[in-house]
Amino acid sequence: MALRELSSLEKYLGLKKPNKYSTQGDKKVPVLQNNTGPPLVGLVTVACHLVKEAKRPELLGDSAESRAVVQQWLEYRVTKLNNCTKDDIKTILKDLNMYLQDKVYLAENQFTLADILMYYGIQPLIVDLAIQEKEQYVNVTRWFDHIQHYPGIRRHLSPVVVLRNRIYTSRHH
Amino acid sequence: MALNLTINTNNLPLGALLAAEHVKDSVPVSVEEGKDNRLHVSDAIQFNDVNSISRYLARLAPALGLYGSNMMEQTEIDHWLEFSARHLCGQPGLAEALGELDLALSLRTFLVGHAVTLADLSVWAALKGHEGWPSQGKSFSHINRWFSFLSSQVPFSAVGNKYANKKA
Repeated sequence: MALRELSSLEKYLGLKKPNKYSTQGDKKVPVLQNNTGPPLVGLVTVACHLVKEAKRPELLGDSAESRAVVQQWLEYRVTKLNNCTKDDIKTILKDLNMYLQDKVYLAENQFTLADILMYYGIQPLIVDLAIQEKEQYVNVTRWFDHIQHYPGIRRHLSPVVVLRNRIYTSRHH
Repeated sequence: MALNLTINTNNLPLGALLAAEHVKDSVPVSVEEGKDNRLHVSDAIQFNDVNSISRYLARLAPALGLYGSNMMEQTEIDHWLEFSARHLCGQPGLAEALGELDLALSLRTFLVGHAVTLADLSVWAALKGHEGWPSQGKSFSHINRWFSFLSSQVPFSAVGNKYANKKA
């Protein structure tokens, strides 16, 4: 999973030469053997390295505040979203739905690496949602649909059908 | 082909100015102040309706996709241009129109398709120029998210800073 994600990220960033990765332990933590330094371990560490290699530092946030927000969601991705149980899913979607109420992207009005990795991580959960649930978490669904249509992002993932108009309009979110 | 847009500062055509700002790299348009709002294409062809001016400018730069990418999107865009002219420009019943807009925006980042179009320009401009918008807008969270997102994007902030503040 993580390796396909990193290879999709490489393609989005336009990195010409694909890196070779290995994995570590039974949680299959990705490892990048670097030519110039020690090996890099962990999804977020490697992803941030790729962003810098592609000279796209704005994807990590362009102010002190947005950089902190990006790191917060990257950590959320690996600590909360990875290996979450069925019970966790509802809490995650509820929290994310509240958070995204007044934001287009996770870092307010700016598209960042946090959106990409959260999208890759949450796609398997969204695929399984019923139409009613997609409307219940309406802000998550809007954000998700926007990111999956963002140029060059979707790659290895299948598209999720999102209705453009609400059906259950009387239901309050 | 030299396009010239004349604007009346007492009745700013914000939507037309936004369209001109979006297309400026592919379609140069000079802007000057005058008695009325008018796009001068040639001595024989002139447009004075804001939506007509925006449509014409968008069609001159099809690669930008401001007029959508298929017939369905074009129709949706026409719907929103008419919606902003009929329901958001000074008429009574603003709350009802805002309710409809809020519902439409609940699952969308942009009004039509997945990128900015004339629909966003026109509706944003109508709200920006509307006296009732900031006070009545508080309870419409989806409109607020969409409005402040667009306001932070370059062509919108450029036009907002250059023109909208002149009115005050």
